[in-house]
Amino acid sequence: MSVIAVTRLELRRLFVRPLAWVLAALTLAQLAWRFTLLLGGFLAGQIKLAALPGGPGYTDLVGVPMLSSILTGGALPFGVVELALVIVPLLTMSSIAGERSNGTLPLWFAAGLPASRIVLGKYLALMLWLVLWLALALAMPLSLAHGVTLDWGKLASASLGLLLTLAALAAIGVACSAYASHASIAASVALTLGLALAGVDIAAQKAGATNGVSGWLALSSHLEAMLRGLVSTADIAWFLIVIVVALALATQRLAAEKERG
Amino acid sequence: MSSLTLRLDSGQVLGLLGVNGAGKSTTLAMIAGALAPDSGAIKLNGKDFLEHPELARRVIGWLPERAPLWPELTVSEHLEAHGRLRGLRGAELAQARRRIVERLELGTLARRLAGVLSQGQRQRLGLACALLHGPHLLVLDEPANALDPVQVAALRGVIREQAAAGTAIILSTHLLAEVTAACDRVAILHEGQLRYDSAIEGGDHKALEQTFFDIAMRGNGSNNRMQAA
Repeated sequence: MSVIAVTRLELRRLFVRPLAWVLAALTLAQLAWRFTLLLGGFLAGQIKLAALPGGPGYTDLVGVPMLSSILTGGALPFGVVELALVIVPLLTMSSIAGERSNGTLPLWFAAGLPASRIVLGKYLALMLWLVLWLALALAMPLSLAHGVTLDWGKLASASLGLLLTLAALAAIGVACSAYASHASIAASVALTLGLALAGVDIAAQKAGATNGVSGWLALSSHLEAMLRGLVSTADIAWFLIVIVVALALATQRLAAEKERG
Repeated sequence: MSSLTLRLDSGQVLGLLGVNGAGKSTTLAMIAGALAPDSGAIKLNGKDFLEHPELARRVIGWLPERAPLWPELTVSEHLEAHGRLRGLRGAELAQARRRIVERLELGTLARRLAGVLSQGQRQRLGLACALLHGPHLLVLDEPANALDPVQVAALRGVIREQAAAGTAIILSTHLLAEVTAACDRVAILHEGQLRYDSAIEGGDHKALEQTFFDIAMRGNGSNNRMQAA
């Protein structure tokens, strides 16, 4: 029950702050622009594509590219993943560091809540916001579902990949917020970690290191398979490991704070 | 902090005196469950809060030195959030909110954001949050700070009222007048140790003042003057 109380309060705080609304408005506007460009490209090449047996359809050219630039390259405005790398740290930065600067963190301890429930409650609230944001982004390609042939399986796989990416980035953001003394530091560190995770394999390839470690560490390599419609246990396990480790670190930091003051 | 034993009976008001840095806020944070002591026990009616932290939720009310508020939430939302955190729900929460808003005259502030409240109003809201769930033990850390004389008098009224209703109260302050006006027992902390613990008899301010200065300035007047409450 106490996790729900934390989630409820965190959601309330999230929705009354202008930051969440501004981020939602700006990113959705940008995604709408991307959707329009992708749709324009699809309509322009529709006749040519229809002649190709097994050629790419609406899902490959509009639905999945809406979510990420990983498969399409970076010529268009950012997709959901690229935007998430920036907005998740901004959303999560105050979750614990903000409480610390308000002096409200001890209130949670005084209410008899273990650190794990505080972290989980806050994480769930952030995830609810992000799921809503993702749903609005997905609503754009889905709005034409009645007039096109959608590959529902591939879109579901890509959406699952996106959801897990958001969950991993949010967990990293909460952990950074738990360790940082100021929200801005938390955002900077979370952004850096997110970008490092996203591009570690590219950086390794450019440096000539082609071992499997950098590929395994990279968020993009696990997400890419899902964007292509391939859901594997190994990829899901990678995301779950990141989430669990980040939340455990945040919990450990809060518990230590209660011990040390 | 080092070995500190305090016992407080229902309806008793204990004034915790000490100079800045004596360990008052640390002691109160530990009693309130916000800080974990290295060892020891904090018991209410024989039940240890350290072993059962969820007990503290329902029976302790805590107002830290600087009322901790979420600036983006309204007064009304604070009461709702605190009530839920302390386990109140539905009609019970609504009734508790009505009662405390009326008692502390927060009605006109209900929709105001905590971030724009004056210091006195913040303190009043903090007190409301601490009292909302009808605690058995009320822990107040320098509650009269930044209050004007009228607000201080109102605060003393609330303290007396709560004590009369059977709430045990610990009140930390560095003001002797506050202790003699509102408390029926006094404990003096110095350098993390309890140096004095006694009932306040007949408003003997001069003797208390002398004891306090002895302890604060010279660090003596300690164990040999300590009495069991």
